[in-house]
Amino acid sequence: MDITLTINGEEKSASVPPETTLLRLLREEFNLTGAKVGCDVGDCGACTVIVDGITTNSCLMLAGQVEGCSVETIEGLANIDDYHPLQKNFEDLGSLQCGFCGPGMILSAKQLLDDNPDPSKEEIQDALAGNLCRCTGYTKIVEAVADAAREMRGDIEAA
Amino acid sequence: MKPFDFVRPEDQEGAISALAAHSPNVRILAGGTDYLVELKHVSQSPGTVVDVSHLEELKGIEEVENGLRIGAAVTHTEIMNHPLIEKYVPAMIDAAHTIGAVQTRNLGTLGGNLVTCVPSMDSGPTLVALDAEVTVLGKKGARRMPLTEFFVGPRKTILQSDELLVDVVIPKQNLGKPTAFYKFGLRKGQALALVNVASSLWVKDGKFADVRISLGAVAPVVIRCPNAESSLEGQEVSKNVIEEAGSIAVTEAKPIDDFRASREYRNDLIDVLTRRTLNSAVEMANQP
Repeated sequence: MDITLTINGEEKSASVPPETTLLRLLREEFNLTGAKVGCDVGDCGACTVIVDGITTNSCLMLAGQVEGCSVETIEGLANIDDYHPLQKNFEDLGSLQCGFCGPGMILSAKQLLDDNPDPSKEEIQDALAGNLCRCTGYTKIVEAVADAAREMRGDIEAA
Repeated sequence: MKPFDFVRPEDQEGAISALAAHSPNVRILAGGTDYLVELKHVSQSPGTVVDVSHLEELKGIEEVENGLRIGAAVTHTEIMNHPLIEKYVPAMIDAAHTIGAVQTRNLGTLGGNLVTCVPSMDSGPTLVALDAEVTVLGKKGARRMPLTEFFVGPRKTILQSDELLVDVVIPKQNLGKPTAFYKFGLRKGQALALVNVASSLWVKDGKFADVRISLGAVAPVVIRCPNAESSLEGQEVSKNVIEEAGSIAVTEAKPIDDFRASREYRNDLIDVLTRRTLNSAVEMANQP
C-alpha cells in the first residue's frame, strides 16, 4: 500500500505491505534508525515517536494508520551543532550509558515539556513510565528533564 | 506479522460493510496496543484487518438524552483530559491513569479495552459500578445491552465477527454518583491489576442506597458483588457494615493462583480495596 506522511517537517512517501509497522517504515524505508526495535510489543518505549503531537509506540501502529499524519523522530529534534536542551542536559549529567533508550526517553520528555513546562518530579516519572532504561536507573534521567525544563523556562542560564 | 489485507474505511457505515463483506475472516483494529501484539505472534493471517481508530462517529464524549456517551475509539488519554468525564465520572480518570503508560494510553481505546476483555481490564469495574450500557452495531442494526452482558469470558465478548462496538453510555441517573476506583498492581506504571475494584453509592439520610461493588482480575470477567451490595443497602453508614461488605465481597470472587499473586493474597486485596473504595465513595457523598 502507498503511504504519504510528514516526517520531521518533510513530506515522504513509500509503498509497503500492510503488515508494516510505523517503526519498520521509519527504519527500513526512510533510514531513520533513531527509533529502536526493543521489545516490539509496546513495553519498552525505545521506539517512541511523536505522531500529531502525542507520543506513541511506533511498534504498535501500522503504516496505514499514519497516512497523512505528522511524525517527529529524534532525528528531527536537533542537529549536532545545536542540541535541544534535553539532549544537552542528558549529556551534561551523564544520564545515558548505552543510549538505547535515549531517543524514546528524550521524545517522551520533549512532549511532556511541550504540554507542561513546569512538571513536578512525579509528573516527570509518570511521563517516562513507558520508557525503560536498563543501565543507569532513572535518577539522572529525571534530573536532566527537570534541568532542561528549568532552562527552557529561562529559570537558569544554559550551561 | 503474517500478511493481511488492510481496510481503512471512511466512516462507521464503511466499517460495518467491510466487516460484513469479510466476516468471519476479519478483525477490528483500534488502538492496537493489544491486537497488534497478538498479530505479531499468531501463525495464521487474520485475513482482513479493519482499522476503526480514526472514525469520527466512534470518537466523541458528549451528553445525550439518556446519559453520557463515550465513543468506543476514545483513547484513555482523551478520557483523562475531558471536562465532561471530570465533571460526571472522575473515577474513570483514576482508572484510565492506571493503564499502561503514556504511549499506550495515547493509542489504546476504551472500546478496545472492553472488547479485548481480559479479566484485569482497568476500564471495566468503574463502568460496571455505574450500570454502563454498550451499543453494538452490525449490518442488521444496533443492539444495546448492559456491559455485564457484553462480557462473556476471558478474551470473549458477545460481539460477533461482523459487529462493531460503537459506544458506552453511562445512564443519566448515575452521572455524578459518588464512585471510587482502586487498582493494586506490582508497579505504578505498566502493571496489570492483581485486583481492581470500583464502588459507587449514594448516601441518603445517612443510609446506603444503590450500592454497586465491582471487581476486576479476580474472576473470568469483571463482576459485581450482589451479596456485598445488598448487605449495605439501606444500612446506616458505619465502619462495621463496610468491614462486613469487604469480607462478603471476598466470597463472591474466584481469583486465580498464579505467578503474579497467590489466591490468598488476592483475597486479602479484595477485602482491603473494597473497604477502601466504599470509604472513599462515602467521603465523596458526604461532601457538600
